[in-house]
Amino acid sequence: MLKILTCFKWVLDEADIKVDAGSRKLIFDRAGHKISAYDRNAVEEAMNLQQQHGASVAAVTVAPPTAKNCLKDVLSRGPEKAYFINDQSFADLEPAQTGDLLAAAIRGKIEFDLIICGEGSSDLYTQQVGPILAENLGISCAAFVNKVTYVEAENRIIVDRKLDDGIETVSLPLPALITVLPDINTPRIPSLKQVLGAAKKPVDNITLDKLGEIPKPRLQTTGILAATMERRRLKFGAKPEDIGALINALLKDGVIA
Amino acid sequence: MQFELTEEQELVKANMREFCEKYVEPVANEIDYEARFPAENIRRLAEQDMLGIPYPEEYGGAGSDYLTYVMTVEELARACAATGFLVETNTSLVCFSLYKYGSEDQKKKYLAPLCKGDALGAFALGERGLAGDAATTTAVSDGDGYVLNGVKTFVMNAPVAGIFVVFADVAKSGGAGGPSAFIVSADTPGLEVGKPLDKMGARGAPSSEVVLKDCRIPKENLLGQEGQGAVIAGASLDSGRIGIAALALGIAQAALEESVRHSKERVQFGQAICNFQAIQWMIANMGTEIEVCRYLTYYAAWCYDQGLPYSEEAAIAKLMASETAVHQSDRAVQIHGGIGTVKGQKVERLYRDAKITQIHGGTPEFTKMIIADCVLG
Repeated sequence: MLKILTCFKWVLDEADIKVDAGSRKLIFDRAGHKISAYDRNAVEEAMNLQQQHGASVAAVTVAPPTAKNCLKDVLSRGPEKAYFINDQSFADLEPAQTGDLLAAAIRGKIEFDLIICGEGSSDLYTQQVGPILAENLGISCAAFVNKVTYVEAENRIIVDRKLDDGIETVSLPLPALITVLPDINTPRIPSLKQVLGAAKKPVDNITLDKLGEIPKPRLQTTGILAATMERRRLKFGAKPEDIGALINALLKDGVIA
Repeated sequence: MQFELTEEQELVKANMREFCEKYVEPVANEIDYEARFPAENIRRLAEQDMLGIPYPEEYGGAGSDYLTYVMTVEELARACAATGFLVETNTSLVCFSLYKYGSEDQKKKYLAPLCKGDALGAFALGERGLAGDAATTTAVSDGDGYVLNGVKTFVMNAPVAGIFVVFADVAKSGGAGGPSAFIVSADTPGLEVGKPLDKMGARGAPSSEVVLKDCRIPKENLLGQEGQGAVIAGASLDSGRIGIAALALGIAQAALEESVRHSKERVQFGQAICNFQAIQWMIANMGTEIEVCRYLTYYAAWCYDQGLPYSEEAAIAKLMASETAVHQSDRAVQIHGGIGTVKGQKVERLYRDAKITQIHGGTPEFTKMIIADCVLG
C-alpha cells in the first residue's frame, strides 16, 4: 500500500495582521493561525491518491508546542495520524533548519513512499523546504507539480510540472518528494463529523531530544516592516541633466545610499 | 468562566465561513430576487453534516453541541438569511420536538431523515388570528388514528418540507384530549400545501399555508401525549429562540461588515467617510451591540448544552439580537446612503431579511412576557 507523508506549516493568518501606520511595524496580537494555503492542496492531493489507490496518509509538521491546535485541523482533512515535531525553540525556523529537522525525524524512523509538500509557505514563501528535505533523504524531487499520476505496477509517479515556459512531464521512481501548486486541486471543506473525529486520531509527539542537535541558523532578520506605496508625484525626463535630478531625489529619500 | 471556544468549535466556525463564501454568498442575491429555494446548498449542507448538528449520531445527527449549531446558523445568516432560516426551522423547531418528545420508532423514522437532509421539516403551529394557539385545527380520534382538519398559516419550509409537525386540538371526551402534536408526512392524503407567500425577506425560505382536509394519520404519529401540545410547542419555540437569535446575529454581523467596507471606500467631502465621527459613532454602536448579542446568544446555547434551564436566556438573546438586526440593517442602509436602497446591494437585502427575526418564533411582546415571568418570579 502506498505510504504518503504530507508536510504542512502552521502560519499566521495574513488577513488578521495589522500594520502600525506610523512605524510600519506589523501587529500580530490578534492574528489567528491556519494551515498554509498550498499545504492544504498537498494534504488534499494525498487524500485524492488515497481515494484512488488506497494509500495510508500521515501529516507531519515542525512547530513550537503552542501550535498544537494545528493537529486537529490537519487531521480533520483526512490523514490517519499526525507527527508533531515540536520544541519551544522551533518558532521562526529557517527553511534549512526545517528541512534538517524533518529529515532527522523521518530518516530510518518513518516509512514512506511519497512525500507531498506545498510549493511554498504563505508566510516566508522561500520554496526551499521540499527540495532540501528531498536532498537530505537522498530521494527524487519534483517541484511546481500540478498533476500526479501513480503507476502502481512500476512503483513510480508521473507528474506535470508547471514552469514559466510550459508544462514538463516527468517520471520519478518512488520513494520521491513533490511540491505542489495550488491549481493541482480544490481542497474540500471538512464535514462536521470529520472535525469531531480528528480528536480520536493518533498524534506522535517527536521532541528535540529524539532528533539530536538543532541545526544553526544562517540568516539574521534585521527587521520586518510593512511595505507602503506613497505617490510622490514627481516627474523626471530622460535627458542627461534630468538623470542627475532623479538620482538626487532617490538619495534624498534614502532609497539609494 | 471559560470564554474560549473548543478547538472543534473554532474549526467548524472557520469551515462554515469558507463554505458560505464559496457556495452560499454567491447565490444569495439570486435566491432573494427569485425567491428560489437553494436546494443545491441544502444538499451540500447535508453532506457537511450540518442539518442535525446537536442531535446524536444514532438518529442521523452529528453528535455535536448547540453552541456549534448556533455558530453555523450565524455564519449562514451572515451570507444568506433565507438559507439560515431553512436550516434553523428544520433543526431547532422540528428536530427538537421529535428528539425530546418522540418515541424510539418515531425518532428513527422521522428524526433521522431530517438530520441527514433526506427531508426538510416544517412546524405547523400558527393559525389565522390565533398566533401560538392550536385552537381551531382539530384532530378527531377514530380508534386507529386521527383525522385532522384545519388551516395553518405562515408555515416556514412548508412548500419544500417532507415532514410536518402539526398542532391540533383533540376533543376532550373520555380520553385526555387537548392541544396535541402530530407527525404528518408531506405525501399524506388530505395535507395540502398552499402557494408560497411573496415575502419581504428570507425569500429563499418559502412559507405558505398548510390545509388539512380530513387528513388521516395513524395513531403512532401522535407526538408525545394527547394534551401535551402546548408543552411541546413551548419547549420547541424556547430552543428555537436561540436559533433565531443566531440568525439575527448573522444578519447584524453582515450589516456591520458591509458598513465598514463601504465607509472605507466611499469618499465624500475629500475623505473616506469612515474618518467622520458621525460614522465612527454609528460603527462603534453597531460593534458594541453585536458583541452584546453574541455573548447573550452563545450563553443561551451554553446553558442548553449544560442541561441548565434556558428559557429566560433564550428569550433575552432573541429579544436583543432581533432588535439589533433590525436597527443595524437600518443603520447600514443609512451609511450606504442612496445606493443602500438599490437592489443588488447586500444591505438592501439585509434590511428586508432582518424584520422577520423580530416576529418569527415569538414577538418582542411575547418574549418580554416570558422574561417578566422569570424576573418577577
